[in-house]
Amino acid sequence: MRRALSNPMAFGGFLIIAVIMMLALAAPLIAPFDPEAIDVKSILLPPSSTHWMGTDGLGRDVFSRMLFGARVSLMVGIVAVGIATLIGIVLGSISGYYRGWVDVFIMRLVDVMLSIPTFFLILAVIAFLTPSIWNIMIVIGLTSWMGVTRLVRAEFLSLRNREFVMASETLGARDGRLIFRHLLPNSLTPIIVSSVLGVASAVLVESGLSFLGLGVQAPQSSWGNILTDGKEYIEFAWWLSLFPGLAILITVLGYNLLGEGLRDALDPRSSN
Amino acid sequence: MIRYLLNRLLWMVPLLVGISLISFFIMHLAPGDITATEASFDPKASEESRQKLRELYNLDKPVIVQYGLWLKRMATLDFGTSFASHQRPVFWQTTDEQGNVRKGMIQQALPVTLLINVLSLVLIIAVALPLGVISALTRNRAPDRAITFFVFIGFAIPGFWLALMLMYWTGVANNWLPISGLHSIGYENMGAIAQIFDTLKHLVLPVFISGLSGLAGISLFVRNGMLDVLHQDYITTARAKGLSENTVVYGHALRNALLPLITIFGLSIPGLIGGSVIAESIFAIPGMGKLFYDAVLMRDFPVIMGILTIGAALTLIGNLLADLAYAWADPRVRRGVMQ
Repeated sequence: MRRALSNPMAFGGFLIIAVIMMLALAAPLIAPFDPEAIDVKSILLPPSSTHWMGTDGLGRDVFSRMLFGARVSLMVGIVAVGIATLIGIVLGSISGYYRGWVDVFIMRLVDVMLSIPTFFLILAVIAFLTPSIWNIMIVIGLTSWMGVTRLVRAEFLSLRNREFVMASETLGARDGRLIFRHLLPNSLTPIIVSSVLGVASAVLVESGLSFLGLGVQAPQSSWGNILTDGKEYIEFAWWLSLFPGLAILITVLGYNLLGEGLRDALDPRSSN
Repeated sequence: MIRYLLNRLLWMVPLLVGISLISFFIMHLAPGDITATEASFDPKASEESRQKLRELYNLDKPVIVQYGLWLKRMATLDFGTSFASHQRPVFWQTTDEQGNVRKGMIQQALPVTLLINVLSLVLIIAVALPLGVISALTRNRAPDRAITFFVFIGFAIPGFWLALMLMYWTGVANNWLPISGLHSIGYENMGAIAQIFDTLKHLVLPVFISGLSGLAGISLFVRNGMLDVLHQDYITTARAKGLSENTVVYGHALRNALLPLITIFGLSIPGLIGGSVIAESIFAIPGMGKLFYDAVLMRDFPVIMGILTIGAALTLIGNLLADLAYAWADPRVRRGVMQ
């Protein structure tokens, strides 16, 4: 961990994410207004000392909505990637450990999933369900496990023939012990890196869906759906578009820096 | 080469079966009857579309029969007609008894999306290749740092936000570029050259937006590929032979660093097709992405299922072409398969 954060990229990313997480967690405490409270007397006000980021078309305080939107982004990112990583670890372990026909089957399933344009797949599923934050998290999770699966499988295949694993096997270790004691812990680094990078893309997908009106639904705020309003009022209210876009940019940048930094710091091969 | 091609084609069969299963599964996702999700305030209209869905996907038949019929639809590329009031065929044109031709929706939208994607690929190659090479050659110095910074921003910037900003800046604030649609008013009366020019002007922003993240990715990829290759023994040999630095870099290193790009392009196709939803719906471009988005909003299931299938088929074709191109460019791949 210390080695990981001594990498300046990883540290910068970590700092960004930590600040955003704290703001999101403290949202109910620091938000100056109720994010969903409509105030017809203060519609489309530019940023000022009362409304730091202005107000939207319904007079709601944008800064408060941004804070609560941060919670959505973080939650969707982390839960969706949690689901994807879990599926990836299970399928990848089975595939890489037992090989044979299960491996062939799982790898073909990965190929099939990869051949359907992901954004189409997500939208199609959402068309059949009602859009809500839970459905979004589940759908993103269920459509983004392929990378982790391939990764875990590849790690297992290369670790399987290493001396320490064979030694343990010779001593009579069972499948479970081999997988959980030896193979998984030694595959952890690439899994963590790909999860962190996965959160970045999940945040982008969620904000895109919410922007298109197919994600988090009003009155609940998300950076994506604040931007939908921004599009509506782009000629009169720049603040509605600028702040949520910057927030998404900075958050995604933070996860990407953290992920790439961790990769450089923990994987000696990649530091060329 | 022919055996390689046959081999690759054979590999596509299980994939197609898998795609048919997944799309069939999606069709049955909604709790209970899929027709129950049809939310409509007009009970009559809703009943009517339920009936249509039942007919289209034979929902009253046993599951196995439904799947068989869905397979038949996929095989014959017959996805029925749209639920929208115009009831146009989803995929390809049909001719009725009077000889009236009705154009298919995908038939009209596909060329637009393909054009945008091909132009994005051209843009990516034209910009990302030089950036990647410069970055590798000036490793850890100012140009490389600047390009790497740009790459990280390119990865992190939400395309729809940048689209909004550019739309505002070039269209609303300055009136440099048209911000929506594919043609200006009065397009029909323009000369051929003016028409092409007009369309290109409408495509500048959408092409840039849909190419942006690819641009960042490919720059990084070329940079790392070049750095790997520059460490190889044959580069040292080439230098030792006294070849000029240009010959070494562009003749030896770049050619080898570019090989994997073919595969990367193949792999990026589903992302490009999927990404067209955002660019096309923001700029109101009548391509596959916008068609799909509108279908999702309207719960126009035949169009959704049709585009999902065609999108997957395009990906498979793209991957096949990429593999063939790779095999053509690198004899080791061909031989490896033939043995």
